[in-house]
Amino acid sequence: MTQPRVFLVDDHELIRAGLRSALRGAVDVVGEADEVEPAVEMILERVPSVVLLDVHLPGGGGVAVLRAVQTHNLATRFLALSVSDAPQDVISVVRAGARGYVTKNIRGPDLIDAIYRVDAGDVVFSPRLAGFVLDAFAQDSIGDSEVAMIDPELDQLTPREQQVLRLIARGYAYKEISGELAIALKTVESHVSSVLRKLQLSNRHQLAHWANDRRFD
Amino acid sequence: MTTFSERQPRLGVPQRPFRRSRLDAILGGVCGGLATRFGVRPKSVRVVVAIVSVLFGAGVVLYALLWLLTPRDGDNASIAQHLLRSRSSARTLIGSGGVTLVVLFVLNLFARRATDAVVFTVVIACATGVAVWRGASGDERHHLQEVLAASPVLGAASARGWRAVALRVLPGVVLVVVGMQVLSRIGGVLGGAVPAFVGGGILLIGLAVLGAPWWLTNVRDLSQERRARIRSEERANLAAHVHDSVLQTLTLIERAADDPAEVVRLARSQERALRDWLFAPTDAPTSDSTSFQQLLRELQGDVERDYKIRVELVVVGDCVADGSILALIAAGREAAVNAAKWSGVDTVAVYGEVEAARVALYVRDTGVGFDTSAVDARRQGIVHSIEERVRQHGGDVDIHSRVGYGTEVRLSTPRRREHP
Repeated sequence: MTQPRVFLVDDHELIRAGLRSALRGAVDVVGEADEVEPAVEMILERVPSVVLLDVHLPGGGGVAVLRAVQTHNLATRFLALSVSDAPQDVISVVRAGARGYVTKNIRGPDLIDAIYRVDAGDVVFSPRLAGFVLDAFAQDSIGDSEVAMIDPELDQLTPREQQVLRLIARGYAYKEISGELAIALKTVESHVSSVLRKLQLSNRHQLAHWANDRRFD
Repeated sequence: MTTFSERQPRLGVPQRPFRRSRLDAILGGVCGGLATRFGVRPKSVRVVVAIVSVLFGAGVVLYALLWLLTPRDGDNASIAQHLLRSRSSARTLIGSGGVTLVVLFVLNLFARRATDAVVFTVVIACATGVAVWRGASGDERHHLQEVLAASPVLGAASARGWRAVALRVLPGVVLVVVGMQVLSRIGGVLGGAVPAFVGGGILLIGLAVLGAPWWLTNVRDLSQERRARIRSEERANLAAHVHDSVLQTLTLIERAADDPAEVVRLARSQERALRDWLFAPTDAPTSDSTSFQQLLRELQGDVERDYKIRVELVVVGDCVADGSILALIAAGREAAVNAAKWSGVDTVAVYGEVEAARVALYVRDTGVGFDTSAVDARRQGIVHSIEERVRQHGGDVDIHSRVGYGTEVRLSTPRRREHP
């Protein structure tokens, strides 16, 4: 298996250095940038397979990089990386097209695992992101009761998807989930992908609210 | 600048002695001082003085006298005393006073109405201006310079140079004068409505030319000032926070440099404090100290502080914590402490969820685990205490553990309907 070609976007030199040393040997780091414009240019030029994208960036935030690159239809996939705990930050990069979200205090091996998974086309949910999604899709969440579901297929999670998300939030890895629910690993992955699709396409009040209420610097 | 704490007006509480206010001053601080002296709102005093000034001119005279004769708060001598103390300014004062009287007398000879109330008021105002300018302390003079710079017609002088001001002021004054002249002819040769409209129009244009730039900068300044104030408040808030907690923690970390465990503990507790401050939901209606989320955050903080383990906390939903939820959280705390002591890993995941009918709490580690059928007496006790706490309130406890695969304690309790 060839190593994923990884590009780092983060405005803090120390964080980039930390990431480089954590990833050394496991993936092929093809470049890094600390601002939106150079990041977009270099990603278009080098076409990495995975971009590790900081949510907070000077000049428009990680979302700006995502939007600019996605108009070019590259095969590049994005994994968002943040120290932020604010749901609006997380939800807005995921809705803009990131394939996953991890926090910066993630351990090296877990990060490498996440990169490989995103590279393979899978989705990476941290427990916290799973919590946000469960919150946003909660049946009785305030503000949604009077808003009609526009598309029930997109605006609701199936019971199985909820189960999977709960287990992620409880700290289970995909393999442990497949053991716990007695379903195939592939099935777990497809449930998570389907949740991601709903997360990106649904117009549920809470999601739209979080995605609009951005405060990137 | 003196670091001088000034008395503030307190409603209904008269404060002696009467002094001109230093901080709450538009011109001389007379109104601010009166407000403090009589325990009323400064704004009310200003309104009264303005009305009295417009009606009789007496307000101006009164204001001028108080300005000259009252010491500024923190000062011992009034402007009048300052003036009379130095011989040269006293001489100037008497000289100019005499000249003014003579001029008024002569004017009175030629035109009978020269010494009416308006003229009198204007003269006194001018005299006060001169006196204040000569007698005021450097501090007060500086304040007045700022007032002057912000005043309507003269304001732009310092910023744009006198030529620009003259270009604006001269046409303005001419227009105003012409407008007044035309208006005063109403009923004369041309008579009627035309001069009224033309004159009024010219007058208004003249006033607009004179006043517009001042008004515009005023509006702009106001919003700029408001924004600047908000920004500086935020900065002060941030600085205080960074100083109080972050810098202190950094100092502690420096001191504990040879104790890695302590450094990790400090860094974590600081991180959590900062996160709470930055990302804590401010709009959540139930985020007081008795909410489920808040209590779980406290649990996270306490366990991380006391046991050197990271608690990954995820909470979905929130509600007010009643007795059964408190028991649930207490049991969850024991489970987390247990994980910290026995699991051998450095992370425990805590997941809490508020559902329609129940509240659930999961505490999970991926450590060594244990055989649930054959636990030693000490652990048995802990398991019992967890179970008892929750079952007392009608809840459920389910402990899953396998040697080598970690432990998960699953707790749940039914929700009381009183707290929907």
